[in-house]
Amino acid sequence: MKFISYKTRDQWVKNLSAKARVVAPVDSKGKIIYKQINSADEAVWNFEKTDLPAKTWYFPMTEPILYIEQGKQTKLTEAPVPSPVVMFGVRPCDARSGLILDELFIGKPPIDRQYANHRETLTMIGLACSEMWETCFCTAVGGAPDSHDGLDILLTEVEGGYALEVLTEKGNKAIDGVAIEEKDLKIPEATLREGLPVVRNSKEWSTLFNDLYWKELSNSCISCRACAFVCPTCRCYDVRDELVTIKPGVKNYERLRAWDTCTMAGYRRIAGGHNPRETTEKRLRNRFYCKFMYYPEDFGPIACIGCGRCIEVCPVGINIQEIIAQVDHLLDTAAVKA
Amino acid sequence: MTKMDEGIRAAARQLLEESKVSAVIGYELADKGRVRPVVIERTEDVDRLIWNEDCNLNLVNYLHQRKMPAGKDQPIPKTALVIRPCDVRAVNLLISEQQIKRENLKIIGIQCAGTRINKKARITCSFCQERIPVDYDVLIESDKPIEIPTESDGFADIQEMEHWTAEERLAYWTEEFDRCIRCYACRQACPGCYCFECVAEQVDSHWTSIAMKVPEKMFFHVMRAYHLAGRCVLCGACEAACPMNIPLSKLNRKVARDILESFGYKTGDDPKHAPLLACFDPNERLHI
Repeated sequence: MKFISYKTRDQWVKNLSAKARVVAPVDSKGKIIYKQINSADEAVWNFEKTDLPAKTWYFPMTEPILYIEQGKQTKLTEAPVPSPVVMFGVRPCDARSGLILDELFIGKPPIDRQYANHRETLTMIGLACSEMWETCFCTAVGGAPDSHDGLDILLTEVEGGYALEVLTEKGNKAIDGVAIEEKDLKIPEATLREGLPVVRNSKEWSTLFNDLYWKELSNSCISCRACAFVCPTCRCYDVRDELVTIKPGVKNYERLRAWDTCTMAGYRRIAGGHNPRETTEKRLRNRFYCKFMYYPEDFGPIACIGCGRCIEVCPVGINIQEIIAQVDHLLDTAAVKA
Repeated sequence: MTKMDEGIRAAARQLLEESKVSAVIGYELADKGRVRPVVIERTEDVDRLIWNEDCNLNLVNYLHQRKMPAGKDQPIPKTALVIRPCDVRAVNLLISEQQIKRENLKIIGIQCAGTRINKKARITCSFCQERIPVDYDVLIESDKPIEIPTESDGFADIQEMEHWTAEERLAYWTEEFDRCIRCYACRQACPGCYCFECVAEQVDSHWTSIAMKVPEKMFFHVMRAYHLAGRCVLCGACEAACPMNIPLSKLNRKVARDILESFGYKTGDDPKHAPLLACFDPNERLHI
């Protein structure tokens, strides 16, 4: 089995940072966020999960997708292909979220070129979880603390360093020239959580669309965007042309895309002021139906990877695990009645 | 069940049974010892209500969802709130701004021993002189001893920051706002933020862009602090709601301190007071 010591890892980070942007979890006043680093000591290597998802590096919060120069002749320039990124410390759930988003952005035409560029230039080095933490429920939605899905390399912490598994050609390239040792290693098994809720299928969810539960659930929702903005699979965005500079005869615009989300009132408001999802109830319900019904029906996978970040950030304690369990319970009750 | 829980439940039960209100908004226990707001509409649910030092949001915020009639020919719903002294000041703010009417509200006031954010005492709580609300219908006495701090000035950190150079302040806030994800949880948790359309969300806004970069985030937070000038009750709900641990109340406390020094004005003393920035007194002296 391949083994890499902590010391070699640090050297590896140093070598890679000469060739690519190296990104790793960094502590920003107690919040763990993926940031670009130049040496391994800037990163945190002991963490549970990052506060923001890995998505921030292939579906950034904001990015220009087009430059527009409006003069006598309007000139359009696509955003350049980003320089390569190697990401360390990607949790297996976060890596799976990339595969889920791929279905939408590049799974079938039209291909989102900008997203595709990010994915093609990104190498993800995973770090297996030693346990499922307080809000984790990856195993309930098809993941695992040591899942290989979507990763190029998986590291599993063992004494003195990591067991290293190369999973793709990109992964092979990333370890080029690294002093990897061969060792007899026993990979420790992660502690799993018991008693997780059962996720029902999209057809079953559809029968509860008009259930009173959604109203009750939404009573406390304050319609912020925190849940969606820490979610590895939320992918809605807004696009605007923003004026950057004005020179005589020329106006320069950037076509920006920035995250947006259905939980906020303005998201669905249309010309004339009509809003098909005017109430908190409709918006909140949409968020969960999107994950467990619309996305699987349109693109295949469930749009939830069980990271539990939304549970941690919700200011009013709305809990996706509780919702999954309640849907399961409501369906059971309905079945008994029938 | 603590004595406080008992008192809250008894008050809530009576208000619902006598149809004085159609809902009681308080806190309940959630998973793993956390607390969360809950809207109680049936007497059989009142036993969910609790109080502890983690009840750190401002439930007055929920009145914005209940300030209009629920439908045609229906009255404005009557609500009871389980709230702290600082939250009650927000009630007075909203009355003075003609958003709500006191007659539609019952206040189950908490004698407050202070609340925490992320298990740490809120800075304003450690200086708070007001442990009993300025207005209430029922008072729930604290089951913890309350020591009113001798030091009444909760602005030590603000004073320190005032001595920083502009560059130091910019560096500090750039680091803090770098974490901001523009989720608007601070704004949505704030009873004073109730514009139908926020400046930060206007279509084709000339003030800001949709970008989630430090300048836009800084604009949003500074703008919000200014819009809350003379209106912030220092309840800390913004900080409690922030998923990224940004010390947002520092901005509001700076403005509140300036207003206190300049006008001797503290938000929410009396519902009859006109909003500070909506009145003009030719005799007032600016001490700045």
